[in-house]
Amino acid sequence: MSRTDQIRKSSPDTKKKPLSREEQLKQSEFQAEAIVHINALYNYALHLTMNPDDAHDLVQETYLKAYKFFSSFEKGTNCKAWLFKILKNNYINRYRKNAREPGKVDYDLIKDFYHTIKDTRRDSTETETDYFHSLLHEEVYMAMQSLPEEFREVIQLCDIEGFTYEEIANMVESPIGTVRSRLYRGRKLLRAQLEGYAKKFGFNTEKDR
Amino acid sequence: MKCDKARELMSAAVDSELTSRENQAFTLHLQECSDCREEFEEAKKTKQIIQEKIVRFKAPQSLINSIMGLSLSSKKEPSTSPLTD
Repeated sequence: MSRTDQIRKSSPDTKKKPLSREEQLKQSEFQAEAIVHINALYNYALHLTMNPDDAHDLVQETYLKAYKFFSSFEKGTNCKAWLFKILKNNYINRYRKNAREPGKVDYDLIKDFYHTIKDTRRDSTETETDYFHSLLHEEVYMAMQSLPEEFREVIQLCDIEGFTYEEIANMVESPIGTVRSRLYRGRKLLRAQLEGYAKKFGFNTEKDR
Repeated sequence: MKCDKARELMSAAVDSELTSRENQAFTLHLQECSDCREEFEEAKKTKQIIQEKIVRFKAPQSLINSIMGLSLSSKKEPSTSPLTD
């Protein structure tokens, strides 16, 4: 779609005062670049806050700020990474400085989430029969939540959101070497947690070597 | 390459973030070290499990509407939004 088409498509229905051409252009660019990432941002916010209302507010604030400062976004760079960084900063400002305990998990909330999607997601792609594949979504989720935040965060950004190490390093404001080692240690911890779940359900996780 | 170094490179190997030189040395080490080989397989699998099992939620429609509202404040409800499907 050409830029002109985009503008035409998103132009107001002239019920209110029409926006300036400049504003229209900003809106259509913002829509194309930023709003497409709303699901990813919402999931990230949910993981951080563990609360749908807080996640809702956090994403809303993030977009408000992003729109306001959209001119500072460098075109051609990863907009999703830019938005994630804004969201993270917002989260820190809003929750960490206040009394909210980080890492506190509402297990009922997780169960509620997963209850609604259970069974519909028993994947058809799973062909292996080892213990890992017997794990439930909520078990993996809880194992993730049990990790110290610095590990959980990089795993989430890497494995779930698919950011590169460079992007993650920028987001968590640490060197790439730190990202590497956090991922290494985080995955090891996670693996141990998952084995714990598997053992609980009677799967033998010992290697017969 | 020693196991220490291989472990340092392990996550980057899982995520295809090694330079080609690092990758070469890492692959060579795996060929001769079964412990690191096993650890590498486990790390790959852990990543795969996360990707398979962590469920993605859709942003609620009310949130989408409110954000469309702030960026397109004078626009009527979009009939074909790329976000709703």
